[in-house]
Amino acid sequence: MADTVRLKIKRQDGPDTSARWEEFEVPHRKGENLLTCLMDIQKNPVTADGKPTTPVVWESNCLEEVCGACTMVINGRVRQGCTALVDKIEQPIKVEPMTKFPVVRDLMVDRSRMFESLKKVHAWIDIDGTHDLGPGPRVAPDVQQTRYVLSTCMTCGCCLEACPQINPRSQFIGAAALNQVRLFNEHPSGALHKDVRLEAIMDDGGISDCGNAQNCVQVCPKNIPLTDSIAALYRETTWYGLFSWLKR
Amino acid sequence: MSIKVSRHFVLRKLHQLTGILPLGIFLLEHFYTNSKALGSVSANRTGIQLFNEAVGDLQSLPYVLFVEVLGIFVPLIYHAVYGLVITYEGKPNAGSYDFGRNWLYVIQRVTGVILFVFITFHVLNFRFGLIPGLNTRSVAAHPDQAFQIVRGEFLNPTILFVYFVGIASTTFHFANGLWLFLIDWGIAVGRRTQRLVGYACGVVGVVLTAIGINAALAFIH
Repeated sequence: MADTVRLKIKRQDGPDTSARWEEFEVPHRKGENLLTCLMDIQKNPVTADGKPTTPVVWESNCLEEVCGACTMVINGRVRQGCTALVDKIEQPIKVEPMTKFPVVRDLMVDRSRMFESLKKVHAWIDIDGTHDLGPGPRVAPDVQQTRYVLSTCMTCGCCLEACPQINPRSQFIGAAALNQVRLFNEHPSGALHKDVRLEAIMDDGGISDCGNAQNCVQVCPKNIPLTDSIAALYRETTWYGLFSWLKR
Repeated sequence: MSIKVSRHFVLRKLHQLTGILPLGIFLLEHFYTNSKALGSVSANRTGIQLFNEAVGDLQSLPYVLFVEVLGIFVPLIYHAVYGLVITYEGKPNAGSYDFGRNWLYVIQRVTGVILFVFITFHVLNFRFGLIPGLNTRSVAAHPDQAFQIVRGEFLNPTILFVYFVGIASTTFHFANGLWLFLIDWGIAVGRRTQRLVGYACGVVGVVLTAIGINAALAFIH
């Protein structure tokens, strides 16, 4: 390994400006992650051919793959910058912002659409007031175990970025929001609004826009069984679609 | 809460369903009839006799027009046109994310577009005899000449190649579509089940491809 790291970064000054590529060469530190390289550029914002430039903008927070803020496309694959260990990836490291979200600047994107989707599918459990409601319903250990892994979603956007059904021609909300529907429908209190969530994901952009390419489950950094969640919801929605209207 | 099932959901579910029922079932029937061209040694009948009789029998089915229009043409056109809409809504990325399932996603759409062209040609060609310069005799209207009409075309290597591509695209699209249907309708839910059902659908695809190609070859023996 050389004592420098070469990077090729896709730069964009603002939401409406065009993108350009810039190359950088920064000192190599043993065991460093990609964000360390970005911090080095921040300290000395000069390109590999010696031209001064603006520091590369990115978002990060936890630095331990639980917040999802530093999600970016690294060497063609979407992942978190904090767990992209420089010694384990090919150089020059090609770094781009995610393509399925509007770019704010450089590697920073606006993931609002994911949070809008969570609102659309009723991804919360309602409470009646701020007074003491007493203990919640008991949850069987196996349900707790199933739900735990579903709850580790950090809304990072990897599943949307890798999904061929997410693009400007489609309204698909993506695997993350569908997984949250399963998370809340499996909870005894959440199940009180099961039908609200099912109807939400049966609408335009919902579960039937999934194309079963199953990239989401391959790229999920939290190893959430996203396709299991989607398949379980397929069963629920099919059943609901076939028989619910007979109750009218 | 008032119960409301979205139109979008119903349209998608109908697209998935029509691919299996009636179109998948019709594909099996079609291959069964085609395979009569192989003839029967035990009954001492040639492929020409058996195939032409089968075509005649199908044409004399009670309510044949009703069955053909509502059982085949309407679902076929719906599945084809809505399939193009779905294809338009996808943006394949198997180049960057080269997972097996992602390739199946791409091939399902590619074969779908191939089939749109192929089936249009195939129906105009044999069902209606409306391809001037190639065939102007409808197989359905001339059951006694059915075998010879097909044979005459299949002796042309280009046409035979087009049919090989068409048959292979159909069997892939059906076999992978069967897998998709079993997931989309909530039958194959677990990951292991999906994998095993996938293998089973693969076997269905390979067997149907062999049957389809073998039947096509029977016309030029």
